[in-house]
Amino acid sequence: MRIVCPFCGERELGEFTYLGDAKPVRPEAGASEDEVFDYVYLRDNVAGQTSEYWYHGGGCRAWLKVTRNTLTHEISSVEPAAGAGATKVGA
Amino acid sequence: MVDFSWVPRSPLEKALVTGAHGARGIEAGVSLTEIRNFDLVQVMARRGKAAELAKAAKARFGVAAPNAPKAILASDATLICSGPDQFFVLSKGGKHTMPTLVPALSGPASLSDQSHARVLISISGARARTILAKLSSIDLHATAFPIGAAAATSMDHTSVTLWRGRDRPDGKAVFNLLVFATFAESLWHTMLDAAAEYGVDISHSEELG
Repeated sequence: MRIVCPFCGERELGEFTYLGDAKPVRPEAGASEDEVFDYVYLRDNVAGQTSEYWYHGGGCRAWLKVTRNTLTHEISSVEPAAGAGATKVGA
Repeated sequence: MVDFSWVPRSPLEKALVTGAHGARGIEAGVSLTEIRNFDLVQVMARRGKAAELAKAAKARFGVAAPNAPKAILASDATLICSGPDQFFVLSKGGKHTMPTLVPALSGPASLSDQSHARVLISISGARARTILAKLSSIDLHATAFPIGAAAATSMDHTSVTLWRGRDRPDGKAVFNLLVFATFAESLWHTMLDAAAEYGVDISHSEELG
């Protein structure tokens, strides 16, 4: 699998580290215990399109949000995660 | 009271033995040259200040700072992209050091002196691409990696900044590599092992390529 880093271009998988599911959104302060439990522990085991965080530690050290198909490993989009080189997003 | 000596020494001082290494009786296919005594400052844009930094850098260096994986040659410095919204300023002779760059760039950027934190190695010769291909997954073919192309990548699990400098007078491509000082000796030995079969010419220099 190769990932096209928006800053570096296409690089081999070895330069990247998988962080995890990019779907869960941190609950607001005051959220119920169930909501926090869901956010911390519960993950979908998706067969198909998923959204994941990857870290380009072997390259530009940017955090990336990758949309990937778990059945085919096809990557449909790679974008900087919020806060990572954010000035370049959409520029 | 212990007297300290603050004379800068190369992290490759022990590992680097000038002269011929590896295969003998053939013309050296690879030249490995450590460049010593350079000034290196890392410039990282503060959040949301990338456009302002670009303007300040243009005013300071006379050329636009890289906003893509490139090394830009200014008249007295090389600006090398090291990641999104950040670049290195590589120079010689005290022209671009912390005291001179901070007034110009510290508004929109954080600066960090890396002069003694990195080792700069120049790799050239007829087999330079061949040995780099053993260590790197980057396509270094002339069409894919022209003069001025740069990459933040890994070699032998070590973080490096690699860029292609001006060709040698004999037309051979020159690749420059910045590596963290503490990893330099290990990577140096790895490069020697990779290059030994082609014959290696080892030297050090005070001149930036």
